Amino acid sequence: MENYPEAVAKIAADYLSRVKSHLRVLPLQEQDEFLRELQSHIYEAYQQTPGDDEVARILAVLRKLGEPADVVSDRLPGALVRSGTKRNLPLFIAGGILVALFGLPLGAGGVGVLVGLLAALAGIVVAYYAVAGSVLLVGTLTLLLGLMRLGWPQLFDRLVTLGFIQLNGPPNEFFERMTSAEQGLVMILFASVFIAAGLGLLWLGRYLLRGLRFLLNIAFDWMRRSAQLVRRKLRQEKTEAPVSPVAAASRTV
Amino acid sequence: MMEYSDEDRARRITQLRKGILELAVMGVLYNERHYGYSLIRVLSEDGSVSLKEGTIYPILARLDRDGLVRAEWVESDQGPPRKYYALTASGRQLFDEMSQEFGLLVSLVQRKWKAPDPAEPVGKKLAVRKA
Repeated sequence: MENYPEAVAKIAADYLSRVKSHLRVLPLQEQDEFLRELQSHIYEAYQQTPGDDEVARILAVLRKLGEPADVVSDRLPGALVRSGTKRNLPLFIAGGILVALFGLPLGAGGVGVLVGLLAALAGIVVAYYAVAGSVLLVGTLTLLLGLMRLGWPQLFDRLVTLGFIQLNGPPNEFFERMTSAEQGLVMILFASVFIAAGLGLLWLGRYLLRGLRFLLNIAFDWMRRSAQLVRRKLRQEKTEAPVSPVAAASRTV
Repeated sequence: MMEYSDEDRARRITQLRKGILELAVMGVLYNERHYGYSLIRVLSEDGSVSLKEGTIYPILARLDRDGLVRAEWVESDQGPPRKYYALTASGRQLFDEMSQEFGLLVSLVQRKWKAPDPAEPVGKKLAVRKA
């Protein structure tokens, strides 16, 4: 550092390294620039602070500058969101906010729980739509078979003899008693029921999504509030606990 | 009901200061370029506002990001280089608009609101209309 006495240089370097530890989420260039600026500030302020005791002078400078966490606090949220928009990924922003709100107070375990919950909810949605999709598929296939039985009865018979279509058990006995046209109509009837059910499921899915969104909102809101509570508690403890001279002095502002 | 704590009070005051401090910083940089420390000196010249100096740098970073100030590093003949800031044209324009707005708000806040006159109850007008 710039011609400081050794003790002063050490205190200043320690302060800057504490600031740096708070800046890790920022791009390296931004970190470096901010640290250089603080370094310049500390130098200028130190030169302008009168007194014989060098250590008292540098401590006074740092006290006026504020705690490292406070000095950087304003930079962080904006920077997190900004690096997200740069990559044009709204998800990244949402993730940053989620992690900042719940993940950090709860630690890595909290992040794991969150990811697990989100995955489970996504699983429910996927399973629901898979059921709706397969019902629709069955309906469509039956409809095609029914139309085939009506339009090209011989083709249907050929498929049966070739083994592509197998009719066994009670449905077969039921079918045997009908003409091919009647068989086609019955199949179309069944198909329409299936297709209606599939479309109904898809339509009801909106409510599933809406319900899930509602649940998520409640959960997020609750987590946000408890995170705030924890943060407030922590802050109270911090003010009650004995603090470093820099911290104690910076509370006066 | 939760009690209104000192912490909440401090947070409110900090919040109020933040926006106004930004405006004050723009005002100082309107005609003169400054580096962080000299800017702080100017702002706390008369000692009326106690300023946590570290809050200036995030403000400057924000202004820089939004293109309201221009920053450049200048070598100093004593000590490390200094980062100088000056208001850009768009920064000046915004400052003009904002300081006008600010003046209006200040006059609104500081207006001496008349204390209610007990001889003239507030509800009187309504009562007259009803009759």
